[in-house]
Amino acid sequence: MEENQSKSTEQLSESRFQVSRSTLLIDSWMGRIIRLGGISVVVAVFGMLGFLVSQIFPLFSKAKVEPLTLVDFTQASSVAWGEDEYGELPFSCDTKGNITFRKAKDGSLVKTWTADFKTTPITLEGQTTPAVSIPVTAIKTYPRDGLVLLGLADGSVRELKISYKITFAKNGIRELEPTVDLQYAGKIGELNGPILEAWSVKGPEGKLYLSRQQKDGHDVITGRRLVERKGLSGKAKVTVSEPFPIAADVTDLERVLVPSTADSILVIRKTGEVRVYDNSENTFSLMQSFKPFGEAKNQTIAAAGFIFGNVSVVFQGNQNEEVVWSLYPQKQADGQLLRRWGKIHDCETLAGVGQGIFPAAGNKCYLSVAGGRMQIRNMTNESIRWEGAAPASPIQQVVFSRNYNRFSVLCEDGKLYRWSITDHHPEASWSTFFGKIWYEGAEAPDYTWQSSSGSDEFEAKYSLVPLIYGTVKGTFYALLFAIPIALLAAIYVSHFLRPEWKNVIKPLMEIMASLPSVVLGFLAGLWLAPLVDTHLIPILCVIAILAPSALLAGYVWSKLPQPVRRRVGAGWEFAYLFPFIVLCAYGAWQMGPLIESTFFTVKDLASGQNISDFREWWRQSTGLSYDARNSLVVGFVMGFAVIPIVFTIAEDALSNVPNSLISGSLALGASRWQTVWTVVVPTAISGILSAIMIGFGRAVGETMIVVMATGNTAVMEANPFNGMRTLSANIAVELPEAAAGETHFRALFLGACCLFALTFIVNTFAEILRQRLRERFKMN
Amino acid sequence: MSNARIQPRPVADTTGRPDFISIKNFGFWYGDKKALESMTFDIPERQVVAFIGPSGCGKSTLLRNLNRMNDLVDGISHEGDIAIKGQSIYDPGLEVISLRRRVGMVFQKSNPFPKSIYENVVFALRVMGVNNRAVLDEACETSLRKAALWDEVKDRLNDNALGLSGGQMQRLCIARAIANRPEILLMDEPCSALDPIATGKIEELIHELKTQFTIVIVTHSMQQAARVSDRTAFFYLGKLIEYDTTEKIFMNPGQAQTEAYISGRFG
Repeated sequence: MEENQSKSTEQLSESRFQVSRSTLLIDSWMGRIIRLGGISVVVAVFGMLGFLVSQIFPLFSKAKVEPLTLVDFTQASSVAWGEDEYGELPFSCDTKGNITFRKAKDGSLVKTWTADFKTTPITLEGQTTPAVSIPVTAIKTYPRDGLVLLGLADGSVRELKISYKITFAKNGIRELEPTVDLQYAGKIGELNGPILEAWSVKGPEGKLYLSRQQKDGHDVITGRRLVERKGLSGKAKVTVSEPFPIAADVTDLERVLVPSTADSILVIRKTGEVRVYDNSENTFSLMQSFKPFGEAKNQTIAAAGFIFGNVSVVFQGNQNEEVVWSLYPQKQADGQLLRRWGKIHDCETLAGVGQGIFPAAGNKCYLSVAGGRMQIRNMTNESIRWEGAAPASPIQQVVFSRNYNRFSVLCEDGKLYRWSITDHHPEASWSTFFGKIWYEGAEAPDYTWQSSSGSDEFEAKYSLVPLIYGTVKGTFYALLFAIPIALLAAIYVSHFLRPEWKNVIKPLMEIMASLPSVVLGFLAGLWLAPLVDTHLIPILCVIAILAPSALLAGYVWSKLPQPVRRRVGAGWEFAYLFPFIVLCAYGAWQMGPLIESTFFTVKDLASGQNISDFREWWRQSTGLSYDARNSLVVGFVMGFAVIPIVFTIAEDALSNVPNSLISGSLALGASRWQTVWTVVVPTAISGILSAIMIGFGRAVGETMIVVMATGNTAVMEANPFNGMRTLSANIAVELPEAAAGETHFRALFLGACCLFALTFIVNTFAEILRQRLRERFKMN
Repeated sequence: MSNARIQPRPVADTTGRPDFISIKNFGFWYGDKKALESMTFDIPERQVVAFIGPSGCGKSTLLRNLNRMNDLVDGISHEGDIAIKGQSIYDPGLEVISLRRRVGMVFQKSNPFPKSIYENVVFALRVMGVNNRAVLDEACETSLRKAALWDEVKDRLNDNALGLSGGQMQRLCIARAIANRPEILLMDEPCSALDPIATGKIEELIHELKTQFTIVIVTHSMQQAARVSDRTAFFYLGKLIEYDTTEKIFMNPGQAQTEAYISGRFG
């Protein structure tokens, strides 16, 4: 028994030190789970960053150009070409007007069409003059419209329509069968000489045919319109206008540019002068003449071409010049604002004599050829999309496919060089997003965000600068309102208010922080904005009076005899201060209309009567805009969202200052305020800075309030009485409309990245500052 | 018993006002709990008075009442009166801030502000509105010299005070407390966190300072009380048990409880 007992004590004493297996197991597993959690947070953050970068990376990639099969038309004198929608069956047209169709795949001949235009046989006095072939003297193709325009030696033109009939074979393979139909035959001018050049364009009023002929060694340009009017019965009635001369005053004609809209014609002279003839009534009259490379220079123009949209022309010179001129409103000498041509871009170019400018379809890119090189460039942001060697033989014509995925070069030797082009974001570049860009139609280079419009020819504008500006502006006004209030409240609550009040106010502020921002935005947009709009001056008066009235209250308080002050216990001073301030604020509110009528009376432009309205006064005296949804409203409401978090964190930091320091300061005869200002605030400064940073982060990323209360106009003005568009609001508003993968979509992601970078930079800077301050005011 | 009596002690200066601080029927409550029983005694000018007693006996409470630091605590109340130079410190016309400028204090744990040594020393002058650099410089040097710290820190006055050693920090707090030349210096266990060498320096300092200041020191160390003080008050459970010259208290205590405490039988 005794033995047994001693054994059990021994056992007990041994087992006391043993750790149960489950404790160890749980310990090791919990360690692993926690590690896993930590790693997955890091992975998630980097994954998100990686996703953002992967979305914006394609924006900054250049075009990828790869050669496709070469089609040899084996016609030495090919001058023009065209193709079907799929690029499967290109055709070429030689100097005689013969058309050859070949398969792009293997170059095999599909069809030839021989041009044979004869004069009508005339029987005169029993003798019949046989029909003679009329040689073709001018050829022009409009590849994307499937048109071939032939000018003949007798002064007439033939317009051929190339159409492709699509059939599907049994095995599902698409077969194309080309047909060539004569669409129009007739004379344009009254001259019978050979046509040197012909154009056929479709303007808003109908078809316009132009021809260039020579008379007495002079170039003569003649135009003729075909106007089609549909009657009530649906029958089309075509009226052919009388021929009219164009640019009859021009000598030394070098080349003529006709935009597909037919609203103006650019005539280029050998002297390098460009004369613009604008469509007016039924004829064209001179609107402007200019020298693209500078008035002083007598620089000839080597090549020129209209850019898609027909309001800009690229001119190429002989000495490495490449400039873009465009139509935009310009102030004339008489003060009128008129749309005139002006230079908007001056590009660095390929070395050598310019050999051609060929625009892309559907975007603002063009291919320029010079010195044996080819370059694809975006006109708007001047970025070079691609550069490569040009074929050796002289280039006749370059045509881009409709959707900018292919371009082909027809050379004089009858070879058609074809390339595929992969360039999803030709309009994107650093300068597009962050630089000043001179867009077509704008009066000057500017930062513009305008991502969509109703028109197809519209060029989207993706400058992020106004959005970054708006973000900073909104944040600035929010913090301007929130930081003083939140920090003063934190100081007051942590060191002056009685603890029992503090225990009520702090949780209350935390509840305020959890108020959904959509509710705040709703209140801002539908309640506060109209209120501020109609009571602006009284509200500004109340804001202006708050600080002076508090100071006045403090002054009066300090003049009260000590026994009176002692009666109000420490921490109860607000009971005296509060009614005082409320009274002052009420007085200021009542004074508002009086101040408005005294200082802000202006003559109403509509009625001609004097009215006292600050909004009208602001517009008239500063020339700036006034919107109901302005920075002031955003500042108030976003400030309201920021105050609670700044307050909570700052209050914690201030409350955590050791009591020993406070007693030390008080024991040295410092007042409560001196203690707070000279000891507590410096000691808690790193925590206060953190609070401000978190408030900044909240304001920068805030979305719903700014969406609902700013008006979302992407303007760049410091004016406190207009709105803004912030990066976050921009993403929220536009992402649902942006198609995945397109430039707009990726630009929004770039905006998100900027937002991230903005907070990252500011937070890093603040963190460094905070570490320094903490080092300086560190507590042992 | 105590070996303190073999330590030489400067002779008490008896030329000053004998009732410099006059405590009359003073009792004190934290809420409902009575912390100090009604007590009456006087502290003479330019002498060192030590408050001794076991923990929770009320010696610190009394000390903190002399500059009304207890005002920071909620729910306190008192009876009787404390007068300095005949003026009640509870006089409604008296600003508590001016009282604290008159009565400096050094705390148990050194509490330099996270500022430079210079700014710590001149803090009291700064809050009084003195911004004349020459005046501040002079006050800084004088105070640091009085606190026997000048030679150690004169080359790094702009360094952060938190870089000093524990003993230096406590001397800095003393320099800070005497910079605006108060009349009374309260010391709440100033050496409790220091090693013997630092303690020795502070005690020497107290000897120096008592020629100019009336010093009240709370201490747990009876040797220290014997070494530095002219008069000693012994508290027990919120009561003043005995108050007399230090020699009398340590050589020939009048009360059995005092005898028991100083001989180390309790406390």
